[in-house]
Amino acid sequence: MYFFRTLTLLFLTCCFAAPAIAEDKLGLSQYKGEVVYVDFWASWCTPCKQSFPWMDQMHKKYHTLGLNIIAVNLDEDPALADQFLSKHPISFKTIKDPEGVLAEKYQVQGMPTALLFNKDGKLIDQHIGFNPKKSNQYEAILRKALAAHDDIKLSQHSGKKQL
Amino acid sequence: MQLKKQKGISRLLATATCTLLGTVSQQVSAEDWEVDSAILFYSEPDRVTAIEPVITLKKKFSEESTLNLGLTLDSLTGASANGATASNQTQTFTRPSGKGSFTTKAGETPLDDTFKDTRVAVSANWEKQFNRLTSYNIGAAFSKEFDYTSISVNGLISRDFNQRNTTLQAGLSFASDQIDPEGGAPIAFASMAAPGQPQPKQSGTKDKDTIDLLLGITQVLGHDTIGQLNYTLSDSSGYQTDPYKLLSVVDSVSGSTLDYVYENRPEDRLKHSIYANIKHHLSNNDIVQASYRFYTDDWGIDSHTIDAKYRFDLGNERYLQPHLRFYDQSAADFYRHSLVNTNPLPQDATADYRLGDFTAITAGLKYGFKLKNAGEVSLRGEYYLQSGDSNPGDAIGIQKDQDLYPDVDAYLFQINYSFKW
Amino acid sequence: MRRLFLLTCILFLSACSVGVKPWERAVLAQPAMALDAEKMDLKMDDHIYFSKEASSGGRGFAGGGCGCN
Repeated sequence: MYFFRTLTLLFLTCCFAAPAIAEDKLGLSQYKGEVVYVDFWASWCTPCKQSFPWMDQMHKKYHTLGLNIIAVNLDEDPALADQFLSKHPISFKTIKDPEGVLAEKYQVQGMPTALLFNKDGKLIDQHIGFNPKKSNQYEAILRKALAAHDDIKLSQHSGKKQL
Repeated sequence: MQLKKQKGISRLLATATCTLLGTVSQQVSAEDWEVDSAILFYSEPDRVTAIEPVITLKKKFSEESTLNLGLTLDSLTGASANGATASNQTQTFTRPSGKGSFTTKAGETPLDDTFKDTRVAVSANWEKQFNRLTSYNIGAAFSKEFDYTSISVNGLISRDFNQRNTTLQAGLSFASDQIDPEGGAPIAFASMAAPGQPQPKQSGTKDKDTIDLLLGITQVLGHDTIGQLNYTLSDSSGYQTDPYKLLSVVDSVSGSTLDYVYENRPEDRLKHSIYANIKHHLSNNDIVQASYRFYTDDWGIDSHTIDAKYRFDLGNERYLQPHLRFYDQSAADFYRHSLVNTNPLPQDATADYRLGDFTAITAGLKYGFKLKNAGEVSLRGEYYLQSGDSNPGDAIGIQKDQDLYPDVDAYLFQINYSFKW
Repeated sequence: MRRLFLLTCILFLSACSVGVKPWERAVLAQPAMALDAEKMDLKMDDHIYFSKEASSGGRGFAGGGCGCN
């Protein structure tokens, strides 16, 4: 009886711990107060290749203003990701997820998938696919996320005595 | 205080934009034309020879739309069977023009070498993404040779389901053909007249219209496998007869050829086919592909086609691909190798070997390689052999010594060059 | 008859738990794995067989590939 209870507890722990472990891989908690743009990509995905120069540009432009880009590579053969990155050097962070754990967790429906988390770590926008002609639209959403919250925080402080 | 801080961030954002404005690139470089060119050399020993250059162009005009253009030239020379059977005597036939004739030696299958024909075909297709999962394709095609003109329009809609693992497509096309036979369309079952004599032919052009429907499903069957299942329906009405083909009329006792009459085919033809295809990638990087097609029509023809290819990956972007195809066809209800003089004339009859009972085998080999930054090349050679019943049970008299369904074989050689321009 | 048709459709679409995840399409994305990989050869063959045999038609090319965008 005791054995089964331990087993069940262990099983439940694993079920809840697993996502927690995955959480650690993406490490969203460390970006609290900043905007995070997560992009799921693979070396064989052509629109992903097109999105890289744009993401690099966004990183250079807005990193100091609180934008963090994390590109999650889903190549089953991680060597292909390295090959790709050596040909397309980028300034933003890449992590590898060859087993697709993060992809599964975030329910990636198509390649590439971009997720935008606001300063509170909440998912506020996502889109499947990359269209270079829509770069300005994507950028506008980023800018909105970066500019938001300062007024909310400030409105909480307004009326309070400044220390 | 509040406004000042907000303005601060906004100003910083604005500054960032201005700084980098000059370096913003469109990410869409001028799109190239994808060119696929090929030349085919086709030869049937002692019969037809053809040279066919083809070029197709493809260009993306936006993320959502693509234009496809095609041009084909087909130059045909040589002789083709006219439907008459071999006899134990020399045979003379009037050319379709009604002027001039050609002779066939005893024991040989009559071949008409009148034609040196060139055909030009052009096509244009526009592919557009309607939304993320749906696309459509509309196009038109035109083809012309000296006695045949065809114009067609087509439309296809395609929709992905199930995270793009399943694709459904439906297509429709309409074709309108005009036939203007050399010398005029012959009167059905009229006897062939000698050259210079009044020919039993009709003046004016003939028409044929065809509607085609395609329903298909493509399914990802696994990490390395994809399958496809299509159903097609074709309904054509109009002039289906071959104006240059005739049938031998033989004596019911001796089997000697007494007369030649022009053939006749029904005005309508309804075809159905089901096609299944599977493509599988192996762990050693080779690819195997196999397909089966079942065809049936209301002329009584049924056929089975089995096709298999194995692509050996030789490394360095080179490959070797053997190909095998097996085809089996049953004859049209109105197919006759020849007519018997004492029998009443049927409503429809043809001795065209293409509508007879036969099996065919194709064996081929293809080799492909990539040129450094200059495209891909492939070379393909195939051998085709078609054989039917040379000695059918209903052969009469001297016919028993003749080959009433000679084997037809062909050699094919093709060079392909694809590149970006 | 209509019920049978509907059943077939449902069966087909339910069989659609068959497939791969969007990030598992590395092999399918290979140009050689595309259904229209040898479009030119297929076009040539279709033309030859159309003029030598009674049957025609069958093929279509949509689906497969990387499944991107």
